[in-house]
Amino acid sequence: MEKQKPKIGIFKYSCCAGCQFQLIYFQKQILETFNAVDITYCKMLQSGGVEEGPFDIALIEGAITEDWQATQLEKVRGVSRFLIPIGSCAVCGGIPAIKNTAQELDIEKRVYENTSLIHSVRTHPVDDYVKVDGYIKGCPMGERDLTELVISLLLDRRPNFLEYCVCVECKLKGNICVLVAHDEPCMGPVTSAGCGALCPSHNRACYSCWGPMKDANARALADEFERRHLSREEIFRKFTEFGQPTDEFKPGQLKL
Amino acid sequence: MSHKEHIKEDIEVDYLARAEGETAIRVELKDEPAIELKIFEPPRFFEGFMVGRKYDEVGDIVSRICGICPVSHMTTAILAIEKAMDIKVSEQTKILRNIMSISQNVASHLVHLYMLAMPDYYGYAGVLQMLPAFKTEMERLVRLKEVMNQLTGLIGGRALHPVTSMPGGYTTVPGKTLFDSMLTKLKEIRDEARRVVKDIASLKVPDFHSDSEYVALYDNEEYAINGGRIVSTAGLDISVDDYKNSFQESQVNYAMAKQSVIKGRGPFMVGALARLHIKFDKLQDETKRLAEDVEFRLPNNNPFYNNLAQALEVFDGVQRCVQLIESHSFKNEKRNVEINAGEGGAVTEAPRGLLYHWYRINRKGIVEEANIVTPTSHNFLNIEKDLKKLVKENMNEKRDDIKLLCEELVRAYDPCFSCSVH
Repeated sequence: MEKQKPKIGIFKYSCCAGCQFQLIYFQKQILETFNAVDITYCKMLQSGGVEEGPFDIALIEGAITEDWQATQLEKVRGVSRFLIPIGSCAVCGGIPAIKNTAQELDIEKRVYENTSLIHSVRTHPVDDYVKVDGYIKGCPMGERDLTELVISLLLDRRPNFLEYCVCVECKLKGNICVLVAHDEPCMGPVTSAGCGALCPSHNRACYSCWGPMKDANARALADEFERRHLSREEIFRKFTEFGQPTDEFKPGQLKL
Repeated sequence: MSHKEHIKEDIEVDYLARAEGETAIRVELKDEPAIELKIFEPPRFFEGFMVGRKYDEVGDIVSRICGICPVSHMTTAILAIEKAMDIKVSEQTKILRNIMSISQNVASHLVHLYMLAMPDYYGYAGVLQMLPAFKTEMERLVRLKEVMNQLTGLIGGRALHPVTSMPGGYTTVPGKTLFDSMLTKLKEIRDEARRVVKDIASLKVPDFHSDSEYVALYDNEEYAINGGRIVSTAGLDISVDDYKNSFQESQVNYAMAKQSVIKGRGPFMVGALARLHIKFDKLQDETKRLAEDVEFRLPNNNPFYNNLAQALEVFDGVQRCVQLIESHSFKNEKRNVEINAGEGGAVTEAPRGLLYHWYRINRKGIVEEANIVTPTSHNFLNIEKDLKKLVKENMNEKRDDIKLLCEELVRAYDPCFSCSVH
């Protein structure tokens, strides 16, 4: 009898849906790797589906900003062997977490006249609510780590995710350092690798869209920025564009 | 026979599948059907948290409004900021922005046509289920989309949330050999792109008609995408600077997205079908012939034809990218940006229609106020208007059939709920 294909559920919370589109962007995987799995729940891809699970892997896209999302997330955790946040919003709060830098109601009032209809909370990454089994980082999420995850599941082995900063990729590419040579405020030293040092390779500073690297020394980089005459406000913005709620970036968010 | 003999339960679609983002549809089945497109996509408050951010971060931030049209948000925001700060850009920058926008729009149309809309017409749950029986079509989708994404990525660094696009121009521009190999690929897919029109023309479209005011950008020189005047089939013809005087957005109590109207008039439609009504004359001759071949004629007040209109734009877009790349030689340029206080808005043609961004920037280059109105907010009331008419005309059909028709209609508009709420 044919071995049953692993079941994958994909859930979307507060985000741009870009990570689900990234699944579609990985053209070859649609026709090859993804034929080896069963996507049993993915609202954007197919109608119906089994929301209740069970899932071998639950992929969670988006940050948590409303109550119902946290409730559903806990249910999904209960019926999933592995639960993996995909993309910066789910991993580290991402862009939606910029709002955490101001009072919630002040932010809401700028957008809606009647805020009594709004039920938003502060922006949280997925692991603030449930145990997770790894992270697929990136904005949008990276192809390499996702493929690694699916292959690992199929081979029943531990996935080997990237665990170093953008600088490593820059050095491997032989890029000239945009921070040292061009005085660009580059977030590469504290940002998770996986993009292939995309921004420095395109003549601009990394803006940290893959979120904080594990054990990043944010304070040291913030000090370096200060030595290079960036204002406190500018440094604050650098460390709050992606990863406002994270412990890793807190030391970089200097007091204004 | 009166439909009163067919008393049915109301229709609730609690989470519309195969659409970007999250919405429910509620239809009260009575003489005058009550319709609510309940967009429950959670708000992320972009206009709220953008206050205090710097002008050169805005493009990177707003691209995250949408995973399927990031180039549109990024480009529109940058155009608005350039207007506000009085930044001039080169002719080359304008052309590169056009190529990026067209390639993104074509890729977005392809995803919508084959992956979101088509399964309805053949009775499948989704594209994965369609794969075995529609291998040729799916390979066509993958091939075309791959090349269009590569083109966006060539200029932008990556197709999704590009990195090279900034106020004042591009941080880097690819070399000639890269553009040349892209040209070869684009020429190879032209025949495939032609077949997209045939694929979509062969779908059986519901016989449904609903008059709408169609609104799009119009330019005398080209099939307008990142500039031009705002023109409608009911006589609107205004400069982008007058957007705020003619359009009005308001909050409703059942949806997180706001609804937009033309002041003093009401709902209107934007998107591919609207664009063809406004600027069919600016399409390539070959696209016009293709439209003739599949008997697509204007005016066409059937919103389901938005799909075929998108298919025609797929072919037209591929052709235009070839021409734009062939007729220019691209080189790296210096960006000249001076920080000036000011305010300004811009309108572009996102895949789903008119997209508006507006910013007020202070003398330090910091955003003080932001306003964004998306295609799906523009279409919101028109979708509800059409749903109401559709339900009314099909009241005697089976409840499940009405429900599917409603879903198909909403999907034909190619709505984007992440965008609509943002």
